[in-house]
Amino acid sequence: MWESLDLSKVIDYAKDPYASIREWKRASGKKVVGSTLADVPEEVIYAYDALPVTLLGTHRPLKKAPSLLPDNACSLARSNLELALSYEGDLFDGFVLPQVCDTTQHMCDIWRINFPDKYVESILLPRQINRESARYWAREEIERLISSLGDWSGKRITDADLKESVKLHNENKRLLKELYEIKRKAPATLSNKALFSLIKLSMQVDKKEFNQTLKKIKENLTIKEGSGYTDVILTGIACDPPEIFDLFDEIKLNVVMDTLVTGQRYLDGMVDEDVAPIDAMTARHFKRGFYSPIHDDVFKNVEGLKALYKQYNAKAIIYVHIEFCESEEYDLPDLKKAIKQEGIPIHVLVTEYQTLSLSHVRTRLQAFFESLKGGTL
Amino acid sequence: MSEKPISEKPKSKDLSKKITKEYMDEAFHAHELGKLVGYTTAISPVELFVAHDIVPIYPENHAVACLTSRMGTELSTATENLGYTSHLCAYARSDLGYRETGKTATGGIPDPDVLMACNAQCFTLTKWFQVLSRRRNVPMFVFDTPEWIMNKKAREEIIKYCVLELKELIKWLEEITKKKFDYDRLKEVMKYSAQASVLYKKFLDMAQYKPSPISIFDALIGMAITVYRRGTPECVDYYQTLCDEIQAKVDQGIGVLQNEKYRLYWENLPVWFKFSDHAKLLGSFGGVILTSLYVHAWSFDFDLNKDPLLTLAENYLNRFSNSTLEDRADMAMDLFKRYDMNGMIMFMNRSCKAVSFAVPTLKDVLTKRTGLPALVFESDMGDPRFYSETQIRTRIEAYFETLDRLRA
Repeated sequence: MWESLDLSKVIDYAKDPYASIREWKRASGKKVVGSTLADVPEEVIYAYDALPVTLLGTHRPLKKAPSLLPDNACSLARSNLELALSYEGDLFDGFVLPQVCDTTQHMCDIWRINFPDKYVESILLPRQINRESARYWAREEIERLISSLGDWSGKRITDADLKESVKLHNENKRLLKELYEIKRKAPATLSNKALFSLIKLSMQVDKKEFNQTLKKIKENLTIKEGSGYTDVILTGIACDPPEIFDLFDEIKLNVVMDTLVTGQRYLDGMVDEDVAPIDAMTARHFKRGFYSPIHDDVFKNVEGLKALYKQYNAKAIIYVHIEFCESEEYDLPDLKKAIKQEGIPIHVLVTEYQTLSLSHVRTRLQAFFESLKGGTL
Repeated sequence: MSEKPISEKPKSKDLSKKITKEYMDEAFHAHELGKLVGYTTAISPVELFVAHDIVPIYPENHAVACLTSRMGTELSTATENLGYTSHLCAYARSDLGYRETGKTATGGIPDPDVLMACNAQCFTLTKWFQVLSRRRNVPMFVFDTPEWIMNKKAREEIIKYCVLELKELIKWLEEITKKKFDYDRLKEVMKYSAQASVLYKKFLDMAQYKPSPISIFDALIGMAITVYRRGTPECVDYYQTLCDEIQAKVDQGIGVLQNEKYRLYWENLPVWFKFSDHAKLLGSFGGVILTSLYVHAWSFDFDLNKDPLLTLAENYLNRFSNSTLEDRADMAMDLFKRYDMNGMIMFMNRSCKAVSFAVPTLKDVLTKRTGLPALVFESDMGDPRFYSETQIRTRIEAYFETLDRLRA
C-alpha cells in the first residue's frame, strides 16, 4: 500500500490518507488506533500489531463538532472531532488521547461518551518536566498504556516486541532526517511541501511499508541546489493547511530547520535502542524540544530558536500560530519581543484548520520577505 | 409575594470585612513580618503555604473584584494592547491589565515572591503565572494533577505522583525560605482547613431547605473566605457565624424567594458583572439558582487521620474540574437530588475553556438523566463585550415559559 509511492502520491496521501488506511485495514485485518498531538508513544500501539495514526484534522466541513466544541476551541481539536464523528469514525477501532492543555482537558471524556463502542484511553503525561516526579509519572503512564492496550486487545507484548517497534520507528525518523538534510542543503531537490508531507504521512501510515518509499525516494532524488532561496526556521505546533508550504515554495523559502510537533520535534523522538524500551521511551519524553502547552520556559525556547537561527545561518523565523491555541497565546507576546530584541526578523503567521482562503497569509508573507530582502525591516 | 428584606446587618459580613482587611494588611507587610508573598491558584494545596509562613495571594480573587466592578473591558483592552488576545481568560486579562495600568477595584495586591500553580482547575493559570514568573523573575512551582480518571489502580498511582510532588514542593519552599518545614504546624493548619470545609459545606447545603435561605449569589459571596483564608482559625469562626445566621433564617422560614417556583442548578463560574441583575431577573420568574459544582469546589473532605500530604493530594485531585465528565455528571446529579432542583442553566463561559468545553456534553448527559430542559447561553464571565443583554434576557424568558408549560 505505502511501500512504493512517488512524491506526488505522498503529497496526495498526506492531504487525505484515510482511503488508503481503509484499504490497508481491509487487506491486513489489523486494528487502527488514532491519537491526537502530542507525545503519544506510537511504538507501543504498533507493538500490539495495530496501526497508530496521528489525527491531524480534516479539510472537510464542520458539521457535528461545533455543537460539542464552541468556536473558541482550538481548530485542530474541532477538526479532529469532526473527522471522527462525520467522516472516518468507522475506520478507527480506538483512540489514545493525551491531555496537554485546557482544550484537551476533557477531550478524552468527550470522545469516550461520543464513541461508546470504541476503545478510548487517555495518556496523562506530566505537564512539568524539570523534577524527578515527572520521570516517575511519565514511566507510569507509558506502563498504564501498555497494560490498557493489552486488556483491550487481549494480547501481551514483550520487551522484544517493543524493541522491534522502536527500531522500525527510529529507522523512519532516521530516513526522514536524511531527506531533511538533503533538502536543507539543496532546496531545489525537495520542496517544503514534499518534505513536510513525507513527515506527516509517516505519522499516519505503516512505517514498515513507508520506510521502503522513503529509501526509494532518497535513492531517486536528483540533487539540485537551486538559487535565490531564503533560509528560514519554522516554529509552532503544526502548520496547516498544507497549502501554506506551497506559499513558502512559491516565494522560495527554504525551511532549514523547524521545531514543529509535526516536524523536527517528531524526528527528535528517536528512542535509545540500547536501553530497556520503557526506560528509553520515558527518557525520550524529556529530550524532546520545546512544546508550548508543556514546557514552562519561553526564554529557553528563544535561546533554542536563536541557536538554530545561527547554526543554520537562517534569515528569519516564521512562527505558525494556530488561532485559539491558548498556550501559544500566553507565550507569543514575550517570545516575539525577545526574538526581536535579538535582532532576528520574525513573522507570525496566524492560521486555522479548515482555513479555506490563504490570500491574507500570502499577502503578509510576501510583504515580510520583500521587506527582508530590501533590508527595510 | 415580594422578597423579605433582612434589616439588621449580618455579623458574618462584618467578620468577612475584618478578616479580609487583616489578611491584606498582612500580605502588604509580609516582608516586615518575616514572611513571603506566594501567588497561588484558588484550587491548590495552599495549606503548605500557610504552614510555612507564606501569605497566599490569589490573583483570581483580585480579578473577580475588578470584573464585578465592571472594569473588565478597560483592563482587557490594556492587556490586548500588549499583544495578548481577547480569547484569554478574563481573570488573566484583568490581572495583566491591572499590572499595566495600576487600576483596581480594591487596593490591589502585593507582588509575588513565589508562584505555585495547580492545574486541577485549569492549565490557563499555569500559563498566566508563567507570564508573571518571567516578568519578575520569580520562581514558580507547577503542581501537576493528572485527571482523576475512573480507574482505581490509576488513581492510586496518580496519588503517589502527587504526594511525590508535594514533597518536592516542600523541599522547594525550604530552599527558597532557608527554613525547615514544620509538619506539626501543617497538621494544625489541616485541622482548621478540615473544620472550615465542613462548615462551608453545611452553609452551601442549607440551600436544600424550602424555601432556600440562600441563593448561589450568597454562596459566591460566602465562598471568598474559604478560598483565601482556609487553614486559619478565623476562617472556621467565619463559617460558624455564617451557618448560625443562615440557620436563624431557616428557623424563621425566611427564603430568598418566598414563592420559590424554580430551584435551579447553575453550571460554570458566574457572570461576575451581572451578579445582581441575574438574581433580580430570575427572581421575577420565581426562579432561584441554588448551587453549582463551582461553589462546591472548596467543599473539601480532609481526613485528619491520614498523612496530611496524602489527604491533601486526594482532595485537590478529585475536584469537579479535574474529574471525568461522567464523575462530574454524578456530582451534579447528587446536587439535583439533594437540593430537589427542577431546572438548569448551563453557561458556556468563553473565558474558562477548561470548564466550558465539557458543558455541551455535560448538558446532554444531565438533561437525559434528570428529564429537565436546560438553558444554554454563551458569554464571558468578565468581559461585557461578549455579553448580549437582549439575547440572553430573551433566552431566559423563553426558558421560564418552557418550564411553566411543562409545569402546567
